[in-house]
Amino acid sequence: MRVFFATDIHGSEVCWRKFLNSAAFYKADLVVLGGDVTGKVMVPIVAHNGYWQAVVRGESIRMDTQAELEEVQKQIRNKGSYPAVVTPDELQNLSDEEGAVDRRFSQEMTHSLDRWMDMADGKLQGGEIPCILNGGNDDIWEIDDIIESSPCVTFGEGKALDLDGFHLVSMGWTNPTPWDTFREAPEEQLREKIDAVVSQIPDMERAIFNFHAPPYGSGLDEAPALDDTLRPMHGGAVMKPVGSTAVRDAINSYQPMLSVHGHIHESRGIKKMGRTLAINPGSVYGDGVLQGAVLELNAKKGKVAKYLLVNG
Amino acid sequence: MATDAIGGETPTLFLRKATGLVRGWSVRDSIIYACLATNFVTLGLYEFTFAGPAFPKGQFITATLISGVWVSFLVIAYAGLIVTIPRAGGDYVWQSRILGSGLGFVMAATGWWFILWLWAPIYGNILSVQLFEPLWATLKWTWPNGGAAWFGTNNGIFIVTLITIVIAGLLVSLGMAGYARIQKYAFFGGMAGFAVVVILLLINSHADFISSFNLYGQKLFGVHNAYAATNHAAAKAGYTTSPFGFGPLGPTMLLVPAFMFFLLWPNWGSTLYGEIRGASDFRRVFTGMFAGLWMTVLLTIIFLLLIVKTVGWGFYQNLNALDYNLTPQFGIWPYPFMFAGWLVHNTAFQVILILVLSLWFFGWVGTLFLSSTRVIFAAAFDRVLPDRAAEVSEKRKVPFYSLVLMLLPAVILAAIYAYSSTFRTYTLDATLVIAVTYLFSAVAVVLLPWLKPDLWRASPASRIKVLGVPIVPVAGVITIGLLVFNLVEWLSNDLYFVNSHDSLIFMGAMYVLAIVVYVLARVVRSRQGIDLGLINKEIPVE
Repeated sequence: MRVFFATDIHGSEVCWRKFLNSAAFYKADLVVLGGDVTGKVMVPIVAHNGYWQAVVRGESIRMDTQAELEEVQKQIRNKGSYPAVVTPDELQNLSDEEGAVDRRFSQEMTHSLDRWMDMADGKLQGGEIPCILNGGNDDIWEIDDIIESSPCVTFGEGKALDLDGFHLVSMGWTNPTPWDTFREAPEEQLREKIDAVVSQIPDMERAIFNFHAPPYGSGLDEAPALDDTLRPMHGGAVMKPVGSTAVRDAINSYQPMLSVHGHIHESRGIKKMGRTLAINPGSVYGDGVLQGAVLELNAKKGKVAKYLLVNG
Repeated sequence: MATDAIGGETPTLFLRKATGLVRGWSVRDSIIYACLATNFVTLGLYEFTFAGPAFPKGQFITATLISGVWVSFLVIAYAGLIVTIPRAGGDYVWQSRILGSGLGFVMAATGWWFILWLWAPIYGNILSVQLFEPLWATLKWTWPNGGAAWFGTNNGIFIVTLITIVIAGLLVSLGMAGYARIQKYAFFGGMAGFAVVVILLLINSHADFISSFNLYGQKLFGVHNAYAATNHAAAKAGYTTSPFGFGPLGPTMLLVPAFMFFLLWPNWGSTLYGEIRGASDFRRVFTGMFAGLWMTVLLTIIFLLLIVKTVGWGFYQNLNALDYNLTPQFGIWPYPFMFAGWLVHNTAFQVILILVLSLWFFGWVGTLFLSSTRVIFAAAFDRVLPDRAAEVSEKRKVPFYSLVLMLLPAVILAAIYAYSSTFRTYTLDATLVIAVTYLFSAVAVVLLPWLKPDLWRASPASRIKVLGVPIVPVAGVITIGLLVFNLVEWLSNDLYFVNSHDSLIFMGAMYVLAIVVYVLARVVRSRQGIDLGLINKEIPVE
């Protein structure tokens, strides 16, 4: 079976479109998108009388026609940001009212994901090509129901999915980060969550872990060391491991066939941990490039026969 | 959900609190890194010993300024690449993505891996001449056989290069975390040492220098009336230098390819940049490299002016000429900072000054293998190299195999360098091969708007314009001019010692080796059913 795995597209619509085409492009039998589906940035487009105005990547842009507006919205979405069309009063309100930005962010994220699920329906031939999606630590809770309700995408969180004799278990939670994001838990709790989902696997020889957090100290979890103000230390040259010890220990004790991860975008790599092949394809969603891993699984031998990290 | 509004009173952007939203790295750190990479003390002074005698009519300050201005365009071009594809791996990633995987591998393997084998003995030699030789001479130590001069013997060069390789290997093994801190202290300590030299040369007169030089020339090396003897020996050898000035331009331009030995590296940290980016990053990235480069230019000019004032320009060039002719006045490399230390008649002070100034070396040596291991890792993850090349030992986190790939050939080349004085003259090969790698990155930045229009449009670099013209591709063209000029000079002018038969074979062999590794990888992986051509093939969007 050939699997394509990508992760951390953070709202980039161009990456989502590429992901939907990845099965055909790589001739994959299954496509899996790890967590962190949603974006981090919202760009207000202010609607004035007869034109729109926005600042995109530091440049002030005036849009006079609907076509121009749509083009700018497309550019913003492709970068992983959410265009929010607002009146000047609404923009003022977003600035002034407590919680208004959060509500608008959630609204834009859920609308965007709804649109993505509609796109998936067409591209994945109504579910003929299996597609697994999961949340990550940066994803709001509202996305779970949207993905769950999609007819052609399977929400993986906390489930053991049987895929042609292979067993895929997913967990979008991570160990605590300096940003205090949605799906974070102390290591002990992570281990409990892992044990709970892994206990559903009948055969570890053909198990695939899809855990958002990479294993600690594996080289798949190297991020720039930050000081107290979240500034990279020593010119960004110093990296440190920030992965999960619970994930590391679980891989070492259960020894699944394959373990795929994300979360740390800059730590693209491959690591053999005992019999387990652990992979973090990394992410460069901001460039519109979909980094991923093409994996050939041998059901008979219960091993990863071939693998290649790609920049699609 | 916590959010931040950007844009002042009328927000233009809302950020929600999410992983990886970090502040930009400190510009000060980038400046330090770039200044240490274009290291005036270790590389600049070392190069001057060769450049002055080889091009006696060239004017140093003019050449330094021309080089600084020209390399500034390389800084703009690289800042453009960094903010467009901010990826650890630098040239390998940019060239692979923009120009193709095969070219990216060949250029990165030669420029960031193979040629650094040759840099190891160069680093070793610099350690010898700027730390061991002056220290031994000052303390009048006679062990090992011959004292300070022993470090200039074949065995001395080899042993010190081995020490350098071990230090650099250890620093890679121990990780950058501790070393980056050491690097910062080394920079500030080294600057303090440089400031002491400046003060000494500033407050003392030319007569004071001659007197001190003669005193310690006699005391440490037994040379009577050393100042006059130096000038006499140089004249006897037929060397005459031009008076210090600013022209003519023609011979001065010939110094530019020589000065690339230290001024071409403000972008050395570009292999290390990660994912961090933002609208203002171009300015931050550019400022770090640019200020680092111009700090080096400034140090160079200060040094040169003080040499003219206190040491004497003709005398300094005569010292260098004797070393160039393999007849150094005191039997060791003429280290100007050791001579400056002689202005204080106190051995302890002189020793401390030499030790403090050696911080310029120790703040710099750790980067020798760092970028190479990153390129090796990246190539292993791309399955071009065996998977083992990217393995890191579980317990000690040592990248054992990549270090072997670096260290073993470096030791072999260290031996050849130490025991073959002909091979030793190929030091500018080390610059040339990296310049070729830079050249292809410059080509990549020029072609970027056409080959990857979406990537270019999305890049902050595309919005940096002068009179409506995007400056980054223009800077790329000017950088190509710089590199082509240097390559033509290196390959056509015998005085750079790189266009000899053996040197060309040495460099050619590196490219052939890289091509063979890549072709072999394609064949082997293809037999395994893995298509390496897929690595950078773009998935259609629609």
